[in-house]
Amino acid sequence: MKTYHDIATDGGSDVIGQVTAQRARLNDRLATVRHTVAVMSGKGGVGKSSLALNLALAAAQSGLAVGLLDADLNGASLAKMTGTGGTPLHMGEDGFLPAKGPLGLKVMSIDLLLPGSGEPLMWDAPTQRDAYAWRGLMEAGALREFVADTQWGALDALFIDLPPGTDKLPNLVDVLPQLSGAVIVTIPSGVSQFVVGKSIKMATTLLETPVLGLVENMASYVCSCCGHEEALFPGGNTEALAATYGVPFLGRIPFDPRMARCADDGLPYVAQHPDAPATQALQVLAKQVMATLNETTTETLPSR
Amino acid sequence: MKFLCVSCDEPMALQDVRGPHEGSMSVIFGCPSCAWEVAMLTNSMETQMVRSLGVKIGGRTVPAEPMEMVRASLAPPGDGASTTEAPAAAPQNTPAPADDPKCPFPDMAAAMPEAAATTPTVAPHGETTADATTKSGKCPFTGMVNDAFEQQQASGPVWTPEAEARIARIPSFAQAMVRKSIEQHAAEHGHAQIDGAVMDEVKGMFGM
Repeated sequence: MKTYHDIATDGGSDVIGQVTAQRARLNDRLATVRHTVAVMSGKGGVGKSSLALNLALAAAQSGLAVGLLDADLNGASLAKMTGTGGTPLHMGEDGFLPAKGPLGLKVMSIDLLLPGSGEPLMWDAPTQRDAYAWRGLMEAGALREFVADTQWGALDALFIDLPPGTDKLPNLVDVLPQLSGAVIVTIPSGVSQFVVGKSIKMATTLLETPVLGLVENMASYVCSCCGHEEALFPGGNTEALAATYGVPFLGRIPFDPRMARCADDGLPYVAQHPDAPATQALQVLAKQVMATLNETTTETLPSR
Repeated sequence: MKFLCVSCDEPMALQDVRGPHEGSMSVIFGCPSCAWEVAMLTNSMETQMVRSLGVKIGGRTVPAEPMEMVRASLAPPGDGASTTEAPAAAPQNTPAPADDPKCPFPDMAAAMPEAAATTPTVAPHGETTADATTKSGKCPFTGMVNDAFEQQQASGPVWTPEAEARIARIPSFAQAMVRKSIEQHAAEHGHAQIDGAVMDEVKGMFGM
């Protein structure tokens, strides 16, 4: 009697062909995107979205064409942080046109598709019970469509803001195996670094994803009156963590309450506060990240 | 998943796809040699998992539309917090008619070639903004099972709180099937309402 492997087709649905077509569409879309970069952390609350946004803005400020994808479907915030929330999406020739954020940033977020800014993401289903069986698949499918069905155009870099959790990078790599690399974010606390260490291990040993480096966010607080700088979270040693896992230490971003205010108002912090220490640190970080990416990628793209 | 006719040792071919109805699809395969037929019946989780993959059982006749899975799978506003029971079935390969008041896709598709000049605006759930204020629901253009999740059940027996409470006692994965069976029983016996008495009638069937 024949076995599964003796039968070449699936009877007529050609599911493999359909999945292959999905993959081809994604590859075609990314043919004009030079680098895809995940901004991630196993730990929540370390400022991933803020860093992803401001890293993207700093790169855009230097004249690069930059896209920003909000992959945190259940905690999407980048539409609000870029001032694009409530902006109707437009259909282009071959996909949706991303929302236009500050400094030319091209933004895509599930928030742009939800009926209201306060609406949580809920998938239509025969029942919302027992959703554990399919919710992850739904999110992976959504992520694929966000990458493949957005008319990104020619980009120097597409930054992807991942939700917290050590499982999020594997999910992204399944969807996007050509990921250029990951920027991993931590804060200088022992708890954060304990969890982030697991993320680095996941990325480097299990997925073999290039880790562009480790960033220490909320590293210090600079007094707005006297300029005195103090540590916010005494204890953690991010450089040592980077050394432990053999990944580059990319630098420290000081805490600045004005960054949160700009995010609330959808304004670009790096342009609003060009002389702030955090802006300067972000600009250095963007240069480092782009330099590392350019060192590892030699192919050329069509001119923009 | 593949199906083999044991008698003929021949792979069976997909013949028809029905549903989804109440979250279940019926996928019919036939043996090309002896014409023997079998139907694979999916439960709601299996149906939803296939839906999540963005593939179409029976194969695609048209390419996927941009973000079709996301746009067709977002729950309608107001559905979020509640557990929704299964909607009515619709043939999965049947395209929505062009004059379907809930379907904005024909307009959108018609505008696509000259997108740069006349890019239609798309509001949440895939409506064009022109439609958004007057039409509800979401775009049903997607393939696979998504179409069938468009419509809420138009009619059916009313469930009393007592009956709802009793069905809630059985395992959740079986509730849709049991609910459907009770509704069939009610329809066959002329009950417009499912209450404790109707539940008692079917008690022996499901152990409630």
